[in-house]
Amino acid sequence: MVDTFSETLSEQAAADIAAEVISRPGRGPWATAFRRLRRDRAAMVALGVLVLILVACALAPLYAHLAGTDPFRPNLDGSITLNGQSVDVMQPSTTGLGLGVTPIGPTWTLHYLLGADSQGRDVAARLLYGGQTSLFIAGMATVICLVLATLVGVVAGFFGGWVDTVLSRILDVLWAFPIYLLAISLSIVLLNTTLHIGPIALTSDSLALPIAIVGVIYIPYVARPIRGQVLTLRHSEFVLAAVGLGIPAWRILWRDILPNVTTTLIVFVPILMALNIVTESALSFLAIGVQPPNASWGTIIGDGEALLYTRPMVALAPGLAIVLTVLALNVLGDGVRDALDPRTKIR
Amino acid sequence: MRNLTRTVAMGLALAALGLAGTASAATQAELMKLHRGGTLELISSSSEGTIDPQVNYTAEYWQLYQGVYDGLVTFAKGEGADGNKIVPDLATESPAAEDGGKTYVFHLRKGIKFSNGQEVTVNDVYASFVRIFKVKGPTAGTFYNGIVGADACLQNPDTCSLKDGIVVDPKADTVTFHLTAPDPEFFDKLAVPHASILPADSPMTDVGTKPLPGTGPYMFKSYAPNQELIMVRNPNFKQWSEAAQPDGFPDEIDYKFGLTTDASVTAVENGQADWMFDSPPTDRLSEIGTKYASQVHVSPLTAFYYLAMNVNLAPFDNQKVRQAVNYAIDRNALVNLFGGKVLAQPACTILPPGFPGYEAHCDYTKDPGTKWTAPDLAKAKELVKESGTAGQKVTVIVEDKAVDRNIGTYVQSVLNEIGYDASVKAISANIQFTYIQNTNNKVQISLSDWYQDYPAASDFLNVLLSCASFHPGSDSSINISGFCDKKVDADMAQAMSTAITDPAAANKEWAKIDQEVMVAAPMAPLFNPKRVDFVSKRLGNFVFSNQNQFIPELAWVK
Amino acid sequence: MIAAVLQRLVQMAFVMFGISVLVFLIFFATPGADPAARLAGRNASPETVQQIRHEFGFDRPLPVQYAIMMKKLFITQDLTSFVNRGEKVVPEILAAAPATLSLVAGAALLWVLGGLFVGVISAATRGSWLDRSLMILALIGISMPVFWLASMANLVTQSAYHDSWAFSWVPELGYTPLTKNPLRWFQGLVIPWLTLATLYVGIYGRVLRANLIETLQEDYIRTARAKGLSETRVLLRHGLRTSLAAFVTMFGLDFGSLVGGAALLTEVLFGINGVGRLTYIALGNLDLPMILASVMYASFFVVGANAVVDILYAVIDPRVRKE
Repeated sequence: MVDTFSETLSEQAAADIAAEVISRPGRGPWATAFRRLRRDRAAMVALGVLVLILVACALAPLYAHLAGTDPFRPNLDGSITLNGQSVDVMQPSTTGLGLGVTPIGPTWTLHYLLGADSQGRDVAARLLYGGQTSLFIAGMATVICLVLATLVGVVAGFFGGWVDTVLSRILDVLWAFPIYLLAISLSIVLLNTTLHIGPIALTSDSLALPIAIVGVIYIPYVARPIRGQVLTLRHSEFVLAAVGLGIPAWRILWRDILPNVTTTLIVFVPILMALNIVTESALSFLAIGVQPPNASWGTIIGDGEALLYTRPMVALAPGLAIVLTVLALNVLGDGVRDALDPRTKIR
Repeated sequence: MRNLTRTVAMGLALAALGLAGTASAATQAELMKLHRGGTLELISSSSEGTIDPQVNYTAEYWQLYQGVYDGLVTFAKGEGADGNKIVPDLATESPAAEDGGKTYVFHLRKGIKFSNGQEVTVNDVYASFVRIFKVKGPTAGTFYNGIVGADACLQNPDTCSLKDGIVVDPKADTVTFHLTAPDPEFFDKLAVPHASILPADSPMTDVGTKPLPGTGPYMFKSYAPNQELIMVRNPNFKQWSEAAQPDGFPDEIDYKFGLTTDASVTAVENGQADWMFDSPPTDRLSEIGTKYASQVHVSPLTAFYYLAMNVNLAPFDNQKVRQAVNYAIDRNALVNLFGGKVLAQPACTILPPGFPGYEAHCDYTKDPGTKWTAPDLAKAKELVKESGTAGQKVTVIVEDKAVDRNIGTYVQSVLNEIGYDASVKAISANIQFTYIQNTNNKVQISLSDWYQDYPAASDFLNVLLSCASFHPGSDSSINISGFCDKKVDADMAQAMSTAITDPAAANKEWAKIDQEVMVAAPMAPLFNPKRVDFVSKRLGNFVFSNQNQFIPELAWVK
Repeated sequence: MIAAVLQRLVQMAFVMFGISVLVFLIFFATPGADPAARLAGRNASPETVQQIRHEFGFDRPLPVQYAIMMKKLFITQDLTSFVNRGEKVVPEILAAAPATLSLVAGAALLWVLGGLFVGVISAATRGSWLDRSLMILALIGISMPVFWLASMANLVTQSAYHDSWAFSWVPELGYTPLTKNPLRWFQGLVIPWLTLATLYVGIYGRVLRANLIETLQEDYIRTARAKGLSETRVLLRHGLRTSLAAFVTMFGLDFGSLVGGAALLTEVLFGINGVGRLTYIALGNLDLPMILASVMYASFFVVGANAVVDILYAVIDPRVRKE
């Protein structure tokens, strides 16, 4: 393989330009794709929904200000005015033995729109703030996961041999490793110390930590299917021909292999987003990442789990938010894939 | 009542008092006819380790040991405070102290057999006490270190001999204990399961999952920590004292492990289980309190939740700061987090209400007096200002259980309000307890709780706040605040020595010590929890003793 | 052939060695994880803690402790728990295996059939309302955290509608061995199967659909169509075969790790006493022997399942076989 890299730059450039001209005559590929995407009504609706979610989350402080509720401070003995009557946020049971205290349910008014959690905090306001953190963490983690998984999968599948063996076994270690043990351990180690990884200093409430952990957990899950796909592609006629012609490996990877695995990657985006948001909540629970009183969709679901019987809305609301986001991403992903695929008939 | 439990020379009086609370002697036989039989189904979310009664130190199994093992004396199987009374069990009576409180002579009852058929002899008694040291029991160095020869046993358990400390006379059936110093709590320590009498040929190591024979009405048939524990009748049991060890109603007691608390509540509601060990989750309380009110028993616990503040670390090395925290915390809010007024009451003292030495007193409230009424934030802020520590970083360490996390988050908001930069960290419940004890971990403030081992003021004050309980750098340093005050230590020693002769006077001294400690405020008592027992429709004769809580063998299912 | 199997076994040993060393080091690097004080019990005197430390060998160098623990785990198989003293971890894991296998095998059957169904139908009716609604359902399935779904399933079948005709057949939570009462085994596992399979039906259906659509645009499929083969035949004979690569790979990963105990929450919430629940308890208690045993068990299945998948590649795609 080494000698193939000796090709001169000018030759590459020439080949690149030639390939571009041959494959996509007329307009540039991105412009074509964008035009196609714009014509895809479902994808445009999905994009609209995503933008709406992002804007709503960004406007969280505005909502909290309007509603006059502090989403980060327990409100255990407060009360609000509802239909002209004063209602406790935390309502002690008055029937039977009087056991238990239940937070206020959805009021469908500006104050406590979706009710309160077990600390008497406004779920709606927390939902919007939580969206910021969740989308950030899950988004970053998804990007990390896809990039690393593609790299590992493509390299392992294409080069095969001992490279494949080593990479595959590393993936096995990662997949079988009890990541929660690491999380429990880190959460305690970080109570007193700050981890320095290169220029990044990690404390227990730094979001880099959940991003890194969540981003790494699912690498095997994406990398192995990609490796499998590449393994098949490696033996397809056009790749064998390219290798036979002495075209450098990285070019084959970039021009022939990578475009063929993008479908899989795009499909994994919404799936990973959903899995990552939920995984992040498990880490927050172990005192890594989002720390109380801050919120993420995952942590709100966690809070809601303890209120499933009395106030199911606490867990349901962030769940619906996740479904909506993932759904929009999925439809948009389909649209992008269709738009990028030259074989798709223009509808 | 409370004096009786503390009296050393109370033996005869108590033996005469007999039992109270449970079915009276006259009717026990009739009730047996009516209700004997059936299988009592208990459930718990998890098992609690070794089945060895001399090693296990958990409420869950101490509860079961009541019906399986006996000591020379025991806590009476009675309702409420009656369960705090110490009655003779394998001994014929609780003997009077001799030699100024340093010697006790017990007479062993005759004709009592272990479940394996062997008769209980004085040699078994001697061997059992040696075994405490050989198996390296958790309380070997804290409960039984006062027996002559115990020091050497602690240093070298394998060669342990208590020949000078416990003298047995097989002919007279007597066991004589020699103590290095008088101990007002000696009987309490003999009555807990760690001092159970086991066959002399029991293995001198922790038996783990292989149950040992006992003398009670039941015996452990099998134990699989991840599945179930089964107790069946001991064929060799004949009732000798209804107060100490009454015969049980159910023929079999099955204890299943592994359902979540939510699933346990549902199982009891559906009649698939008779009783759950875990407290019902707060989310289900109003449901069971309304729809199943007749199946719920709420009982006060002699326990408290508290914030331990590290007196050797900033900012809590400043007394004013610790007092400020005490002033600032709204106990009512915490009571609400725990499940409401019915389930907890605000605490101001270290000793819980109804406990020996308890006296209602509250300094850290809006109008100081006997009762906590409302937080005094103004005062708290003022104290913080005086201390000059405002703005410092403070981390609250709590367990990752739902209620604890909620309390932690609330405490964080209070600390922020009085001027600190607070954060809260919830860590694995299994690690938190040892983590917060070790001074190396530099924990500033943490949430913990304490339940009585036995009814004595020293079990709270002396255990939690004496210099002797503070071991810097060790994971086992129950004095989490690191509070060590010579004056308080001397006062506690004085109270313990008073207790030998005059328990009532001693309890007054303890009440004073409680207040004295609270001025220094190494901890902030939060609330005294109550226990919610949720039982099946068919379960009858629910008896709750302050010492061991629910007594399974007295409940009937027929 | 034998050489290939041997090579794979050696690799498995390396993977297990790597994981066990990592677990071991992480455990001892955690402050507060030191088992001595926890073993000694609440308020134990420093002497007692010291003796326990010595008795369990925590005062010996880490490599020695590691070697002893591995010997007890693999050779003498008498490694005992740090929490439930006297409980031997190897028999405990083996005893829990049938429950986990029952849960995962049933769920796997459901999700493979469900995934194939969703993927093939969606791909065949691409763009239609049926495709859209199946994809929406799939994504809802993916978005529901398993603990939420399991809790809701319990709420409905055990509590709220337990006495209604719809769910009165659902027995109390827990696992009944197949050999003890087959009907009860089945009844008790239906709800857990459905719960566990939901997530995977979503993922597999989604991935299969995409790969099928991709494959259907390949030249050879066009050739097949041009030859006049029926669309169903094209889809099932030619399309599905080559689209299964990702499906099979993911199945290998998921099945391996779930049989190895990754279905923690499903087992815990349904009271199924399997390997996952043991792992969950061990992690909660930081019970090193049990963690090590369960992780070794899990890694065995992960590596094993991947080996099987690699063989399957060759079956699915003859071109790969040449290597």
